[in-house]
Amino acid sequence: MIYLNNAATTYPKPQCVLDAHAAALSNPPSGQFRSSGSFLKEDIFTQCRNHLGELLGIHETERIFFSSGATDSFNKILLGLDLQNCPVVTSVTEHNSILRPLYNHTQLLDEQISLVGCDTDGKISLEELEEIFIKNSEKNTNRGICIINHCSNVTGMVQDLDAIGILCRKYGIQFIVDVSQSGGCIPVDADRSGIDILIMTGHKSLYGVQGTGAYYVRSGIRLKPIMYGGTGLDSTKLKYKADEYEYEVGTQNAPGIAALSSGVEYILMRGVEKIAEKERLLMKRIYDRLSEMKEIRIFGSYETNHGPVMSFQVKGLNCSDVAYILETGYGISVRTGLHCAPLIHRAIGSGADGTVRVSVSDLTSMDEIEQFLKAMEEITASVSGNTRGEEVL
Amino acid sequence: MKVLDKVESRERCAEAGWFAYDFLLDQEIDPEFIRGLKPLGSWVFLSMLAKPFFKVESEHFMIKGLLGEKHFRVAVHHEYEEELSRIERLIEQI
Repeated sequence: MIYLNNAATTYPKPQCVLDAHAAALSNPPSGQFRSSGSFLKEDIFTQCRNHLGELLGIHETERIFFSSGATDSFNKILLGLDLQNCPVVTSVTEHNSILRPLYNHTQLLDEQISLVGCDTDGKISLEELEEIFIKNSEKNTNRGICIINHCSNVTGMVQDLDAIGILCRKYGIQFIVDVSQSGGCIPVDADRSGIDILIMTGHKSLYGVQGTGAYYVRSGIRLKPIMYGGTGLDSTKLKYKADEYEYEVGTQNAPGIAALSSGVEYILMRGVEKIAEKERLLMKRIYDRLSEMKEIRIFGSYETNHGPVMSFQVKGLNCSDVAYILETGYGISVRTGLHCAPLIHRAIGSGADGTVRVSVSDLTSMDEIEQFLKAMEEITASVSGNTRGEEVL
Repeated sequence: MKVLDKVESRERCAEAGWFAYDFLLDQEIDPEFIRGLKPLGSWVFLSMLAKPFFKVESEHFMIKGLLGEKHFRVAVHHEYEEELSRIERLIEQI
């Protein structure tokens, strides 16, 4: 099988990730500060936090907390912040892991939420964003929060975090960034960009396993935990004070965190810039060849959309037909539909059918891309020559 | 043509209330079978593909598959799931 659905979950994983996961399951479980004789070694949790901090430009690595993924991370953030009278600004490019927690929050009114739009490539408008900030600051004493998806999982558009961070600081707004699609394949520097809260998942370009993720909360941000339980630092403590909260409770997913740590270590050894360069090369080939096929409509372009994911439609076929033909006829796995990002499709003009999405990873080969492009050539040629179909039958 | 089984697709993130089922057949899909689907709706056949693709689309359901395979897919809107039995009956008459 040729797997081009890496924006959903990367496959295959680097060998070191498989080894780390297996080793964590076959060796005695990592103690969380209770095992004897392990004090000289850096524990797997600290090691993973340090790797993530190095990759994502976070110096307060002790403020990185593990979760089961982006949805889990964002729910913990959203339900822990005080959102009373708090303006919330986000964009139409967001994934449902952000939109659904927002629109189903019991203390958050729909009127509190403002959406910044995007152009047909998926780029959000900084001017529109600033206008929303100004309007909100005139109406509210609470400055609010702004949640931005770094890289669109539909068009591969990468937003300018430095510029948005400057705007957020100018208006005193907490800057929350979702790097689920970019962490590990596009450089991120949370401290430089002034990011207050960072959300990530482990199973995409960080090469971890499904069910792992993390979030970073800058010190000084008031976040009430939504869960309490075992595995705290002081077993005698029953009630927490606001300044001594703990965010990781219950037994942690140590094998998953070991795999995530190994995945991030792989990225650090390879170099995120090198990974981005390789993936850009693969994407260039896809954009170049698909744009030569007149039956194909591409959303975005190689020049403007820099993530390892792109979307297209084929005239005369539903997106789901294209995926069905690719998978059943050619053994090529892509993804179709709205990609859990329902609001972006109106902005880019892809409609209710969504798009066919192709996404690569550092482990995708150019040969796999060539086979995909050959299949697309056959499909588009077949669509344009479709009138012959009945004659053949 | 006999329908041996209908397997509900386990794919998550379905859009707009549609459900998909894979119909497993007792023999390979041949041209006669594909022609026999024409009365069900708008009909597409991409003959030039290495594995030719067919599709029949009506307001409430869609059938798609490949020539030579022993299975095809039916997508149906959840309000019209009774169409599955009608499709099965028609298939067995082809």
